[in-house]
Parts: sequence; C-alpha cells; structure tokens
Amino acid sequence: MNCESLTARIDDIIDDRLAADERSAVNAHVAGCDACAAAVARARSLKAGLASFGAQDVPMPDDAFFTAAVAKASVAGAKDTRRRYWLKGFGSAVAAALALFAVTLVLLQPETPADAPAGIPAITMSLEEARTVNLVFASAGDLADASFTVLLPDGVYLEGFEGQQEITWLTSLTEGKNVLPLRLIATTPAGGELLATLRHADDDKVFKLRVNIS
Amino acid sequence: MDAFEQNQAKLFERLLQPHMPRLFRFAYRLTHSRPEAEDLFQDVLTRLYTRLDELAALRDPGPWLNRVLYNQFIDNQRRYARRRLVDVDEGQLVGESIESLPDPRPDTDEGNFDALQSALSKLSDEHRTVVLLHDAEGYKLEEIQDITGTPLGTIKSRLHRARARLREILEAEGTI
Repeated sequence: MNCESLTARIDDIIDDRLAADERSAVNAHVAGCDACAAAVARARSLKAGLASFGAQDVPMPDDAFFTAAVAKASVAGAKDTRRRYWLKGFGSAVAAALALFAVTLVLLQPETPADAPAGIPAITMSLEEARTVNLVFASAGDLADASFTVLLPDGVYLEGFEGQQEITWLTSLTEGKNVLPLRLIATTPAGGELLATLRHADDDKVFKLRVNIS
Repeated sequence: MDAFEQNQAKLFERLLQPHMPRLFRFAYRLTHSRPEAEDLFQDVLTRLYTRLDELAALRDPGPWLNRVLYNQFIDNQRRYARRRLVDVDEGQLVGESIESLPDPRPDTDEGNFDALQSALSKLSDEHRTVVLLHDAEGYKLEEIQDITGTPLGTIKSRLHRARARLREILEAEGTI
C-alpha cells in the first residue's frame, strides 16, 4: 500500500470496511508514514465530530407536537379516505377517450362579478371562512381511470390538505352529472384562478374558476 | 369520526409512535429547517394514514417509512420549488426571539459545532444529505440506497466527496 491508494480507501478505513489483509497493509503503511497517519486521524476526527453533531443539532419537537401531528393526520387521512371511496363511487365503466372532451364544468350557485374575465365562472368567499364549491362535471360518457388535479391559487387551500397547492385524485366519471365538492379556505386576500384538470389517457381538459376574496 | 375511524386512528398512532422521533430527524436532515421539517412530517403522516393497511402489514416499517418520507420530500421540492425562493423579511417575523431559546450546544464544543455547521452549509444538498444520514444519523450505505433509490456507487462517491470537502474546509480553518 502507498499514500495514494490509502487516500483512495480512506472511507473504507474509517468505516471499517476493509478485509483483514487490507487492514494489515494499511496498518503497516500508517506505522511508517506520518502524513497518512495524520490524514486517517483527521478523517476519524471528522466522523466523530459529525456523530456528535448529529446528536445535538436537530431541534426535536416535544411530545405534544407528535400527538397533535398524529391527530391531525388521522382526521385529514380519514377525510381523504372517505373522499377516495366517494370518488370511486362515481362509476367504473369502460373509458371512452373522446368522451373526455365532451365533459363540461359548471358551478352550482355560480357568481360572476363585473370584473371577472369573460367565460370564466367565479365565486366570492370570505377570508378564513370555509366555502364549499361544487364542481359539476357533465360527462357525455363513462370515463374510468381518469385523474383529477386541482391547482389552487396562493393563499387558498383545500380543507384537509393544508400546505398543498396541487392535489390529484384518481377517479371515474359516469355518463351524466358528477359532483365534486371542494371545501376551500382562503388565508390571504389575493385570490386568483383555480385550475381543475381532468386527465384521461393522453387527453386532458382544463377548467378555470376565478376565486375572489372579499 | 365514527367508531371504525377512531379504531383506525388508534392503530395508526400505535404503529407510528416508536418511529416518529427518527422520522422527524430524517425530515430535518432533508430540509435543514425546523418549520419545513414539521410541514414535511405532517404531510407524510397524512399520506401514511391512507396507507394504514400497508403500514400494519410490515414487520419493520422503519425503512419503508423513511422511503415514503423521502419520496414526499422529493415531490414537495418539485411542487414548491418556486415558493421556497421567497425571501423572508425578519421584521415580519413574530414570536419568541431566538436569543431567549436555550442553546442546545455544549459550551466546550461551540467553536467546532459552528465550524462544522458552516462547513456543512457549503456542501451541495446531495452531499450534505448523504454525509449527515451516514455519519450523523448512522444509516448504512445500503439503507440510504434503499431510501433514496440512488445507486450505491453514487452514494459512496457523494460520501467520499462530502467528507473530503469538509476536511478541506475545516483544515483550512485549522479546526481539525
């Protein structure tokens, strides 16, 4: 073993991944090479420092945080599970790709303020107040294995999905009307456009909804 | 919640309880930020609840939990990459001032601790994550491979380069 080969194996040396004969060769070299002995000592020192660092630098939350996190996940997870089952209940017939483009979106109880862009449905909601928006998809045919993605404007989230601006579900649509209720909460007054994308195979259709915050 | 959901919630808590501290530590190692680690941890717990059957079927869920958390981290990074670039104005921060919080560092190691932290901050995310998971958290190379899906050779290479870079920085400062 020489200095170059020792340097190349320095991780294996300090992680104790050497075979017995290799370890003997390293020991023999280090015994006669001060530079390599110092290099190995520095590498071990750094590793020990990192182990010590690891024990100290993570600001661990208290038990209350973990308890609250589990409770929150249980409530949100249960809602999500119910939603998945509900969405599966839409139907399960064979897909018709062309039918996707016959799908239309309408809102129950739509509002259209004077300043809303033409053709885009709009709702107005209050800050920090949950508002259920019913998206109604009128499909010309059955659609199985479709995905539905909601992209929310900044400052608006879906109840149970705090911190997520984009949520995707797998679903199926049946011929006729399919209702998807979204419970929205606004945390800032900015508002913006909500994009709902229905995707099936290689086809997709995007719907827009203007969200105004009063 | 109905009775069934309450039972599910109890099962979820029982299964997860022993793994939560280590899972949070992993979240912190990936995000390098307490608030982001808390968000990631919460996201993962919510996702895990919907996969309770899978969780309950595992004899040792530790590696699987880490993998789920890592995948969620990658998803979040892709999804929120632009939002993370927003600057924070310290004047807008409210709450307990940092000076009033206890210092977790022992006085004797303060200099080395700061030097190491500073040196780590100069590494790339990939290098820092691997060296912290391996040397600070004690994960084996194969475990890191399993969690991240990164080839073993790449992980070894990142660990080697990360350590070499840290030694280079710390030696230049006379810390080691």
